[in-house]
Amino acid sequence: MVRAKVVIRNLTGLHLRPAGVLCNKAILYKSRIQFQTSSTTANAKSVLSVLGACVKNGDEIEFICEGEDEQEALDSMIRVVEDGLGE
Amino acid sequence: MFKGTNASAGIGIGKAAVIKEVEMVIRPEKVASVEAEVQRFRGALADTVAQTKALADDLATKVGEKEAEIMNGHLMLLADPMMTGEIEEAIKRDSVCSEYAIETTCTTYADLFASMDDELMQQRATDMRDIKTRMQQVLQGIKPVDIASLPEGSIIVAKDLTPSMTAGINPANVTGIVTELGGKTSHSAILARALEIPAVVAVSHVMDQIKEGDTIVLDGSEGIVIVNPTDGEMEEYTAKREAFLQEKKDLERFIGMPTVTKDGVHIELVANIGNPDDVAKVLQYDGEGVGLFRTEFLFMDRTSMPTEEEQFEAYKKVAVGLAGKPVIIRTLDIGGDKEIPYMGLAKDENPFLGYRAIRLCLDRKEDIYRPQLRALLRASAFGGIKIMIPMITCIDEIREAKALIEEIKGELDRKGVAYNKDIQVGIMVETAAASLMADVFAKEVDFFSIGTNDLTQYTMSVDRGNEKISYLYSTFNPAVLRSIRNIISCGREAGIMVGMCGEAASDPLMIPLLLAFGLNEFSMSASAILKSRKMITGYSSQELQAVAEKAMSFTTAKEVEAYMKEFVNQ
Repeated sequence: MVRAKVVIRNLTGLHLRPAGVLCNKAILYKSRIQFQTSSTTANAKSVLSVLGACVKNGDEIEFICEGEDEQEALDSMIRVVEDGLGE
Repeated sequence: MFKGTNASAGIGIGKAAVIKEVEMVIRPEKVASVEAEVQRFRGALADTVAQTKALADDLATKVGEKEAEIMNGHLMLLADPMMTGEIEEAIKRDSVCSEYAIETTCTTYADLFASMDDELMQQRATDMRDIKTRMQQVLQGIKPVDIASLPEGSIIVAKDLTPSMTAGINPANVTGIVTELGGKTSHSAILARALEIPAVVAVSHVMDQIKEGDTIVLDGSEGIVIVNPTDGEMEEYTAKREAFLQEKKDLERFIGMPTVTKDGVHIELVANIGNPDDVAKVLQYDGEGVGLFRTEFLFMDRTSMPTEEEQFEAYKKVAVGLAGKPVIIRTLDIGGDKEIPYMGLAKDENPFLGYRAIRLCLDRKEDIYRPQLRALLRASAFGGIKIMIPMITCIDEIREAKALIEEIKGELDRKGVAYNKDIQVGIMVETAAASLMADVFAKEVDFFSIGTNDLTQYTMSVDRGNEKISYLYSTFNPAVLRSIRNIISCGREAGIMVGMCGEAASDPLMIPLLLAFGLNEFSMSASAILKSRKMITGYSSQELQAVAEKAMSFTTAKEVEAYMKEFVNQ
């Protein structure tokens, strides 16, 4: 299992569009991909779960990946967030 | 007559097309074969996805990519493995029909979103209910309401319009929309505005009062709905409708026209914006640039300071969007009247005379001002950015801010980072002190922008939020007018641009005076631009000199205003 933190930099937080970009990236990997916020844990492969975490601009989230391609998955998730999730 | 929320401007007259969804009774029916039921659900899901895809494509070609995003969002939700997994799980666990499994699962999510303290998330509740109903309709073989084939001159009357229903609207045939639920920012209101269909929403109990085929008149600007109007009302609203369409057409003629007075004086007609998304509106109304971009939005409603990178992206977006046209960006104008916990601002006894704007920024260079100025300088490589400093009262503030800008330029040079080396730096003139010192300040800066809201407040010593003394809060007060005239003439003498970004800049009674005083740039909300261009191009600044002289001879705000009203109306 690997984990890493990243700060969300999207003006309106993880609303539908950036959440969709995040999920589309996550489903490319076999590993289980989750992230934790200060209050909850979300499944990064489910757009509903991501939306349900209600992540705001400036919030820090921690990705936790577990599985055969976990390191690759983690790097990729951090990168997609840092790149602004398509915004 | 019914009152509702004005959701999309204009007058609609037509026959009611009452949209009622077929009531579905969803019960937990037991199923014989769980496996077969899961297959039935999967089939319905695939059909719903196909339907939604068709709506999205249709909307993208008919209205635009942006409007189609709502439907693309539904596609994402329909593809969610967690939701479909839970529905299948419920079918298997309880041996219930798909309809019921969908009902419980989707409602749980809809309720979750509805309870969130975030408007964007609350809208997802509407989306969840919409896709729930559509999947159930597919399962039950119920055809969704066919809005696309309504006859010409239809006024849609509905409890609520789901995004998928709105997506089917043909703007050529639908002349108005009335709903019982919804708000200004609901999907249907946004789409109605994009399609330019007059709409009134949140009209209580309207469904009980309107029958199919009733004649309906609605005023989307005022939020009024009249059912089976009298001849008099019909006449009145037919005239209003024509006047509305005529004015719209009239103003559209001014798109692409230069803003030049009859005697050849070029005026810059620009927009005030509050965030990068407003750029679309500026372009729509043919703004010649941005005269005030308030940067406060970047700092509000969050838990930590925005990074330089984040600010850079926002400023760059506006600069690129305006493609080289001037973009005046005001540095942070914030103080103790705003709740921003992470900034640690103490509550000010007197926030408008306190620790705010440039005073705060110069005191907090490292964590606030330097990152903002560096982001602005870097973004200046991408368009016509100018920096504007708010609430200046003395020259030291200007010099200190400019020295900091020079220092950052040096850093960028050493690092080889691109920026506009000739970037203009100007100030807001909005305090009595700045107005009195305008001749001196004009030699130190590249432009002035008069903030009339604060200038009036500070000149008249009147709190603009206090109802009891609101009679003092008038820009027509001779003291304020003298101040404005002085600021403009000092700026002109020094050869710098003088603009105005307060509400007075788009006030039809103020525009002739400002033209006479020699104001170069008028900045206002984007929707006021065409109307102002029409006014400005109708005047000759030479001929206005006598009007201004007369206006300045009065001793009370009332007299000035009455005189200007008389002049404008003749």
